[in-house]
Amino acid sequence: MNVSTDESAAASFLGRNQFLIYRLFSLSGLVPVGGFLAVHLLTNASILGGAESFQGRVDLIHSLGALLVPVEIALIFLPILFHATVGFMIIAGGLPNVGSYPYAGNIRYTLQRATGMIAFAFIVWHLIHLHWLGAPVRGNALPGFDPHHASSTLAVAMGSMVMNLLYAIGMLSAVYHFANGLWSLGITWGLWTSPAAMRRANWVSVVVGAVLAAAGLGSLIGVRRVDVEAARAMEGRREEMRRMLEGEVPLPSARMMETAVEPRAVESPRTGT
Amino acid sequence: MIAPNHAADSAPAADEGREIRVRILRQDAPGQESYWERHAVPYEPNMNVISVLQRIAAGARSADGRPVAPVTWDCNCLEEVCGSCTMLINGRTRMACSALVDRLLEEQPEEIELRPMSKFPVVRDLVVDRRRLFRGLERVKAWVPVDDSYDHGPGPRISPEEQEDAYPLSTCMSCGCCLEACPQYTKIEPVRREGETGEAFAERRQGAFDRGFVGAHAVSQAMLFNAHPTGKMIADERLEALTSAGGIQMCGNAQNCVAVCPKAIPLTRSIARAGRAATVWAIKRLFDR
Repeated sequence: MNVSTDESAAASFLGRNQFLIYRLFSLSGLVPVGGFLAVHLLTNASILGGAESFQGRVDLIHSLGALLVPVEIALIFLPILFHATVGFMIIAGGLPNVGSYPYAGNIRYTLQRATGMIAFAFIVWHLIHLHWLGAPVRGNALPGFDPHHASSTLAVAMGSMVMNLLYAIGMLSAVYHFANGLWSLGITWGLWTSPAAMRRANWVSVVVGAVLAAAGLGSLIGVRRVDVEAARAMEGRREEMRRMLEGEVPLPSARMMETAVEPRAVESPRTGT
Repeated sequence: MIAPNHAADSAPAADEGREIRVRILRQDAPGQESYWERHAVPYEPNMNVISVLQRIAAGARSADGRPVAPVTWDCNCLEEVCGSCTMLINGRTRMACSALVDRLLEEQPEEIELRPMSKFPVVRDLVVDRRRLFRGLERVKAWVPVDDSYDHGPGPRISPEEQEDAYPLSTCMSCGCCLEACPQYTKIEPVRREGETGEAFAERRQGAFDRGFVGAHAVSQAMLFNAHPTGKMIADERLEALTSAGGIQMCGNAQNCVAVCPKAIPLTRSIARAGRAATVWAIKRLFDR
């Protein structure tokens, strides 16, 4: 008896706020989740410019320091979880019929749901594989990602062809889901209303999707090009520099300038610690 | 002497003995198991699915000669304006009156397949209960509210542009094709419980309908009447309905509705306009309360 009243209370809450929840779901797909996807893929693509350029971008992100984790939780994990939860509810409520009505729009509708599910499964795997969140799960079984040795650890983790294929499928699913979602979002919010405007908006979505897919596939190619030994050496130098600068904080600025110019001069005092 | 029409003379000869095979998904009563039954009727030129069904009912025998209860179906105008003869013909939702047998045989020469609509409870054979479709129109108040006996004088003028915009929407005949093809519009078929009164069941059923997706037809009619100078006096009430449970937000943009609409109504344009109106209305309500 209690269960049924609880269920109806939950159903009535969802019913009363359905419009708001679905609109927040739609918005969250663009901001912050879609925005994050774009920033993530474009950041990754910097590896095409070499290991050092990629390390620079990663360092920039990690310069948030202690703020990084709360930012990740508030702007990335929770929005993705919300979008995925509502998304799975929507998928469960629909009844795809692309077999009877194989129209372009219907195929897109079905693909949107399929890619959403693939992308979510991929994100879970991606976190286990490369993120600090997944470290306890992967243990020592898989090589993880170390933000201070971004290119070399990534190149090792992405060593196998199977992994590249898995990432290509997951990434392309996420990109399709975002690009097609962008087009769909414009109808939901009433940005484009006429069939002609929808066709124009479709081209915008195609371009956004193509750019992000190119960035994503480009990063996979970029990672394969990384010379692990050379990258390790470069990352070692940067790591040294970083530790030194952190260690220099209480010292006068003149000393900092000096060490920044000649980093090797203070190498020996740090090695002991 | 009138020249003999050789084409007309030779046509029956070529078609002599030719039979149209029909496979029908039958159901004897609500809630019962459905079953397939095969029928065969002699071919005649220019048949439509209704005339095939008339022959089947007249014969009341299955293809193997067994006497069967006549197949039942809904139809009325026979010219694609009443919207009552919607069924699944060769797997696709369309009007039986405008589904021509010659075209169907080109599409699928062996057999014509007939099924009742899958999104509404079956009453019997090809007859379905489309109460929820009409409830959708009630939910969005798809009418102009001038229901009294006063003389209000002439209504406001409607420009030719507005008329052109509204006319296609006004051709909706409530056939339900848009709902049948919609992946977001799923069947709601409550069953009367033991000891439940008729009133209690009707209320429970209406509640279930009102939580379900209102459907493309109702969204489009809401936009038609919100564009009408007198109809728009209750525009907010329609938007309230469109943003409540089962409203415009349930649309998944598959756009099947516009693809299957027999009247080619720009349903997706109405849906996007409703989305825009709902956005503006929700923001206004947030700041105006």
